[in-house]
Amino acid sequence: MTTVLAVGSVVLVTLLIGLRGIAAMRTTSDFLVASRRVSPLLNSAAVSGEYLSAASFLGVAGLMLKDGMGALWYPVGFTAGYLAMLTLVAAPMRRSGALTVPDFAVARLASRSLRQLTAVVVLVIGGLYLVPQFRTAGLVLSVVAGSPYWVGVVIAAAAVSITLALGGMRAATYVQAFQFYLKLLLFIVPAMWLLLSVGPTVRHEALHPVEFTHFTRETPVQFDVAVTMELREPTTVDRGAGPVRLPPGELTAPAGTRLVFAEGAPVPTVRGGTLPGDEGWQRPLLDLQDAGHPLLGTWAVLIATMLGTMGLPHVIVRFHTSPDGRAARRTAAITVALLSVFYLFPGIYGTLAKVLVPQLYLSGATDTAVVALPSQVDNGLTGTVFTGLLTAGAFAAFLATSLGLLLVVSGAIAHDLVPGGGLARLRITVVCAALVVVLLALPSARLDAGVLVTWGFTVAASTFCPLLVLGIWWSRLTAAGALAGVSVGLLASAGAIAATLFAPPAHGWLAILLAQPAPWSVPLAFATMVVVSLRGRPPAWAAAAMLRLHLPDESHAGRPRRDLGHLSWPARRSSAVRRITRRLGR
Amino acid sequence: MPSRRVAVTSPQTRLAHARRRVPTAWRPPTLDPTAAERAMGIYTRQRRLAIVPILALFAVLLGIPVVLSLFPALDDVRLVGIPLSWLAMAALPYPAMIALARWQLLRAEKAEDDQADDPVDP
Repeated sequence: MTTVLAVGSVVLVTLLIGLRGIAAMRTTSDFLVASRRVSPLLNSAAVSGEYLSAASFLGVAGLMLKDGMGALWYPVGFTAGYLAMLTLVAAPMRRSGALTVPDFAVARLASRSLRQLTAVVVLVIGGLYLVPQFRTAGLVLSVVAGSPYWVGVVIAAAAVSITLALGGMRAATYVQAFQFYLKLLLFIVPAMWLLLSVGPTVRHEALHPVEFTHFTRETPVQFDVAVTMELREPTTVDRGAGPVRLPPGELTAPAGTRLVFAEGAPVPTVRGGTLPGDEGWQRPLLDLQDAGHPLLGTWAVLIATMLGTMGLPHVIVRFHTSPDGRAARRTAAITVALLSVFYLFPGIYGTLAKVLVPQLYLSGATDTAVVALPSQVDNGLTGTVFTGLLTAGAFAAFLATSLGLLLVVSGAIAHDLVPGGGLARLRITVVCAALVVVLLALPSARLDAGVLVTWGFTVAASTFCPLLVLGIWWSRLTAAGALAGVSVGLLASAGAIAATLFAPPAHGWLAILLAQPAPWSVPLAFATMVVVSLRGRPPAWAAAAMLRLHLPDESHAGRPRRDLGHLSWPARRSSAVRRITRRLGR
Repeated sequence: MPSRRVAVTSPQTRLAHARRRVPTAWRPPTLDPTAAERAMGIYTRQRRLAIVPILALFAVLLGIPVVLSLFPALDDVRLVGIPLSWLAMAALPYPAMIALARWQLLRAEKAEDDQADDPVDP
């Protein structure tokens, strides 16, 4: 009941704030970028609110339980992305005046085919990012309220698409700024309460993890997807018909079953993996796929998340709601600080989850660890209330992120792929896009939010990062080079991800480079862009198009610029600019 | 019952809005020569300023895992009960990144302000 109240209130407040935005909504610009009038402080809260998705709120703690302490590198990379953005992209990108990356492709390189290709990339990234949001909404609701998986998915989709179809970005800015502080509060307060009420024994064990080898009490485990476990020793299990002693070997739990492991029973292993809390689990490095190369795994995740942030389409469009380049840069800087505060806390949930709910690692539903914690500490009303609070926070996380993502995805369809139509068509597109994501999310229950989201980062890092960095800092970039680089990056990263999902598992460093292809796909995309561009010739106006991005906004210049009204068109032609910028091309 | 609000515009504006909008021909971007010169100065300066923070970011973030993998003994050193290696991963990067962001923000803004104060004409 408390859960329904908590989730209901978050959805309701989101809708109310969204409705407030409608009054001020008149044009497509209002819908997409809130007419570019948002201050850095409000905007950075909105950026953080939008950015802190299910992967941050629940996924990091879940991955810690599954992969070990090293999962705390994910949030480090998530934050570092804004530093890269501040330094390389934020201000020039805002000055380009383009709403989205496809628009940037037109403004800087004047290529229609590049615009369409980048719109497709937006759809890929949006899909990889939206599916885990909806999927985790369904999973969390099924754990705390006992509803079927699809109910949560549909509720999340409905709330998001209604808010967006009515209010657009003007609404989303307020919703997301509000939700950042809501999430911060709903994440920090329960963390503090958990730390204080678990007692010294649990606190000590959280800091001195022991391997989870035997069940310390009778433990029920709910399997939402089918899992095959490896029993190491004879194990007493209750499959609903009384305790049975099973011999060592494979044990398959079909989807929707509930197994109860007896007290003292040895913990089975899953997917040939290790048990939570063992030697490798405690190391502060990320041994992806249990490949035995923790340093490479950590680097791969850091590179993907650091470079992917600047290419995330929903984050880029957020920077366009700033009034000018300077405000966009400030927004990025404040965002680093806001995220740093939030990301100090997933570690608390992860270490406590290892002590209190390690059995979640068996069913693979580790993303529900955060909301499962309070009831382990307190069986009474307090525990229920905190479960409700955390569920509300998690829902705020899905809603805020999905809002921004659904907006850019529909923007890419209605604005770039099939241009034409007005506000009405944009609204219909929003609803259709949400429907498609629901259909994709329904069979995706077994995929971790953190992993899927990081794949979104990987695709962004391999396509938009080189396009933006070279487009802003290298005047010799040509449309052909950009097209080639984005295609190669998309094929490389998406191909590697598809191989991980559908091909037989690889081993060793190859497994890491397939599961997290950023270390090779990003340099490959950069190299392709540079080589193809160097073989072609940039148009005469390329230097002017690039330099315009670096010209500070007039309102902040120390003194008014010289009046150039008398200069005629010939004086502004590109050859004049080229004379000045000749040394650039060398 | 409140009636629907209507934007009051001139007949020409109404006509213009009612017409289907045809995308205008693309025009090459232009830059005034003086602005180009100014932009050139800012561009080279910002490019120079951007190198150090990016290198520092990569050095710090990719360097910490190297240190942690070279010195596994850091797992056993504890500060108020928490392993030092966990702190180096989960706490240390954040203040470092905030400091780096603040530093780079101030440098980049100063570069723009200086350029604006420079005389445009020699």
